[in-house]
Amino acid sequence: MRDKQIEDLKDYKYGFSTDIESIKAPKGLNEDVIKFISNIKKEPKWLLDWRLKAFERLKVLKEPDWQKPKYPKIDYQDLYYYSAPKSFNDKPKSLDELDPKLLETYKKLGIPLQEQKRLNGIAVDAVFDSVSVATTFKETLTKQGIIFCSISEAVQEHPELVKKYLGTVIPLTDHFFATLNSAVFTDGSFVYIPPGVRCPMELSTYFRINASDTGQFERTLIIADKGSYVSYLEGCTAPMRDENQLHAANVELIALEDAEIKYSTVQNWYPGDKDGKGGIYNFVTKRGLCKGNNSKISWTQVETGSAITWKYPSCILKGDNSIGEFYSIAITNNHQKADTGTKMIHLGKNTKSKIISKGISAGYSDMTYRGLVDISPNATNSNNFTQCDSLLMGNKCGAHTVPYIKNKNSDSNIAHEATTSKISEEQLHYCQQRGLNAEEAVGLIVNGFCKEVLQQLPMEFAVEAQKLVGISLEGSVG
Amino acid sequence: MLKISNLSAKIDNKSILQDFKLEINPGEVHAIMGPNGSGKSTLSNILSGKKGYEVTGEVMFENNDLFSLETEERAHKGIFLAFQYPLEIPGVNTNVFLKTSLNAIKKARGEKELDAIQFLKLVKEKAKELKFDEEKLGRQLNVGFSGGEKKKNEILQMSILNPKLSILDETDSGLDIDALKTVADGVNALRKKNNSFLIITHYQRLLEYIKPDFVHVLMNGKIIKSGGPELALELEEKGYEKIN
Amino acid sequence: MEEQLKIDFEKNLKNFSYSDQEKKFKEINFKEFLKQGFPNRKLENWKFSDLSQIIKSNIGELSFYNNYSKENQIEKIELINELEHNKLIIVDGKIVKIDFKFEDKDKIEVLVDQSEKTIRKNINSLINLNNAFSNKFCKIIIKKNYSLKKPLVIYHSTNKNTHFSNTNSRIDFKLEENTCLRVIDIFKDNSEKNFINIYYNFELDKSSILKNYKIDKTINNNVKYSYNNVNQEADSISETFILSSGSKFFKNEINCDLQGQHSSAFVNGIFDLDEENHHEIKSNINHLVENTKSYQLVKSVLEKKSKAVYQGKIFVSSEAQKTDGYQLSNAILLSENSEFNAKPELEIYADDVKCSHGSSSGSLDENSIFYLMSRGLNYKEAKKLLINGFLLDVIEKITDGEIKNLIKDLMGVKE
Repeated sequence: MRDKQIEDLKDYKYGFSTDIESIKAPKGLNEDVIKFISNIKKEPKWLLDWRLKAFERLKVLKEPDWQKPKYPKIDYQDLYYYSAPKSFNDKPKSLDELDPKLLETYKKLGIPLQEQKRLNGIAVDAVFDSVSVATTFKETLTKQGIIFCSISEAVQEHPELVKKYLGTVIPLTDHFFATLNSAVFTDGSFVYIPPGVRCPMELSTYFRINASDTGQFERTLIIADKGSYVSYLEGCTAPMRDENQLHAANVELIALEDAEIKYSTVQNWYPGDKDGKGGIYNFVTKRGLCKGNNSKISWTQVETGSAITWKYPSCILKGDNSIGEFYSIAITNNHQKADTGTKMIHLGKNTKSKIISKGISAGYSDMTYRGLVDISPNATNSNNFTQCDSLLMGNKCGAHTVPYIKNKNSDSNIAHEATTSKISEEQLHYCQQRGLNAEEAVGLIVNGFCKEVLQQLPMEFAVEAQKLVGISLEGSVG
Repeated sequence: MLKISNLSAKIDNKSILQDFKLEINPGEVHAIMGPNGSGKSTLSNILSGKKGYEVTGEVMFENNDLFSLETEERAHKGIFLAFQYPLEIPGVNTNVFLKTSLNAIKKARGEKELDAIQFLKLVKEKAKELKFDEEKLGRQLNVGFSGGEKKKNEILQMSILNPKLSILDETDSGLDIDALKTVADGVNALRKKNNSFLIITHYQRLLEYIKPDFVHVLMNGKIIKSGGPELALELEEKGYEKIN
Repeated sequence: MEEQLKIDFEKNLKNFSYSDQEKKFKEINFKEFLKQGFPNRKLENWKFSDLSQIIKSNIGELSFYNNYSKENQIEKIELINELEHNKLIIVDGKIVKIDFKFEDKDKIEVLVDQSEKTIRKNINSLINLNNAFSNKFCKIIIKKNYSLKKPLVIYHSTNKNTHFSNTNSRIDFKLEENTCLRVIDIFKDNSEKNFINIYYNFELDKSSILKNYKIDKTINNNVKYSYNNVNQEADSISETFILSSGSKFFKNEINCDLQGQHSSAFVNGIFDLDEENHHEIKSNINHLVENTKSYQLVKSVLEKKSKAVYQGKIFVSSEAQKTDGYQLSNAILLSENSEFNAKPELEIYADDVKCSHGSSSGSLDENSIFYLMSRGLNYKEAKKLLINGFLLDVIEKITDGEIKNLIKDLMGVKE
């Protein structure tokens, strides 16, 4: 098993500069391109048909325009929808070619040199150590019947599962970016936890060796069967350099009876330089379905990167007694913009949801919390609690809170609280009097402000996230 | 150790301190007494480096020009201010705060930083001495603390950071007699031949428990009278109006 | 609808003597309304109340022309006896009487037949509709340093035979420096299935105080929209209280521009809804300069299939440091078919501010009911007592003692 993995990897590594580069779909979005993608991935007909159906739908959908951050018009015919990873010739040759600011951040986060290179797609000879880790990993998981692989692999190996669940939470017809993803998605993760199994470790994209170039239309599908549990980590605290400006991923979670899914994200993609040039548009659709009774889905996100972040990880609480949670820290600095929040749709009886959102804006940035809590007439005895706090640093930035609250059931309770404040001069003076410099003081106070959310992250992630919070706000205190 | 000469301070063009002079030598305890609005808190704010004042004159602390140092640098050099109104910092654990600040000071001084175990040992010891409820150290800094607990927490921080010059800004206000004694015990325990104190207060009460070497009366931004501990008693008796 | 609109608009232009300028103004507004039509749920502000749909299902086809020249049908209007007041009576959108009998004549100037020459800003299509069809509107000016001795009660009434009609009225108020005006709006509906569209403009000069109490208590089958635009200079105060209850549909929209330092705005409201009534309060409080304050409190008690919507927005511009903005809404749903929707929105660009909002909704606390019943009250009494207590909070925010008592009487709320 182990030998084979290493072998594959070698092929992959050397493969790219020769074979793969020659297979690149032509620019533009049309049926042929979609067929091309499907063909290359040797997909079954039902999946191709599914993609084409999405494409048909896409033709009549309009790009939404209600969000706060506006972005320049994207020419969808001017994009490549399938291109194999860039050849080494196009990539930076060494770390010296990178933005020195980026390197400084790596140093502060304590990211190892090899890892820094990998994150920036620099050719490295000895691919990092996690190959062996990943292999042992896989063995442990397989023993318990857990499936953790790329979604392309799952389409080949477990078509019945993919077919059964793909698109059941985010329907083909949902909205422009989600539908675009359905038509052209390239790769992503697939997780299946069998009934009664508690996944023994945090599953992470970090360990999925072939994950480094999943492209801009990532698709993730996680299914927790009856009575199972899984915790999934997405992303990485180190800033990722990426050639694709638009990212429109879809993530679908399905929790069956008594199952629990915990999904944590640390998103730190390139936010653009301090004048707001460049940076990623992160337009992600994430949605979880608590399908069975007593199921639970919990989203935790730390969003510090991207030029524009636009996402609402949501829960559909269909099963009775199901629980949805959303914990979020979003930090914007310089010219970054974020419009993020969640939707909690209560359909089943005795369903509960909790939203804790902490937004921090500094520099010239703009931050919006947008959320929906909808308790339907049948969701008897349900409740929601929302706490949504904003912290402003400077008066060139903005913080907005736009919650939509719909209560259609008299036995259900919704409570929403929101505050906007700033770090007071007095608090800073107090910390500085105790020997901390201004940035340390801000870091400390901000981490305190975010504590309720940081606590939700898996231990090893939490420490890094804490550092990240401080770093993201650097230079924002006068 | 501390030498203040010709210090004047204004805020929004309003003069608060005028031509203020004071010298504190190692090991001395000075008390500054004055009525409300006499400029007591301004003095502690300026010494600790709070922004927003227009200042002239000179303050030397162990041969350093204080005005050229940032707030945290003054702390690194050994100046500690026990705040009249200690700030609440939500979400920040008291222990974490203390450890961060102790290590920041140690680092600035080129001393070895304490690890978690060493730190906890130290903090436990000091908390016990000050009869400070240890359970509170695990809570958010000053959040939900009573007035007395906040003041005691200031003294605990003082004893852990072990400063050279401690400025106590109306630490006695809002304390009952038991808490007052605990606070005084904490201060007395720190009294060594190299540690100095500047106690700012309205009342004579605290000075019964912490015997000062010198007492100064501050009125309208100026020291109008200085003397020994007996001056405090005289003040208590006559009131501020008649002391002149 | 479009056909009818055009005919009615032409009739309106022909039968009243408008100047060319007025005609032009009306035409611009009319075109704008034709383009937009009645607001529907696709517009963010109308997300929870699709007026176009509501008019269609409750009224059907509307006519827009009101023949005011015809002899007035109502001879009497029942006035409120509880307090002495000045009065202004509007029937089918037309002002039929203005009487400031309690005031010094030279302190109040009433300019009738005012008309706006240009569109100040495009607010929504209903304002366009109002501008296109309202008869000439009037402007009331309160002269410097004068406080009105008695409140002004504005009676909104309809003729008995006015049905399926749209009526539009507009009044502008100018409160000069250091003046005080209390305005009470009372609705006396004599007919049903009309769409009543009201537009007030308030200019509050330095240190002036406006208190506006809107009381929609009597049960009626009309659809109503009211828009208050309030511009506030330094040290001015506006207080708006809305009792939203009797109409089939009522949306009250309040826009406050706090453009002078130390100005403040208070918006308080009660939704007391039954049957299938659907009401909304939408507020926009714009903090535009330093040291301004706003406070909003809205409580709802919802029976049967009623539906309440509260959209409250606090906007703080980057210059508006030291803003203090507060907003709270609580709702009690008494029936499993009632519905409460809220969108409490903060949009903040300044960092030294204190802004918060809260919203809660749910059923009546059964434990409290149980407690009261264990003390000898029956279920109905216990419920009534709890609801009174719940609402009293808002009523207590009314700063005018006389009017507070009037509203308490109207609502049957006792302390």
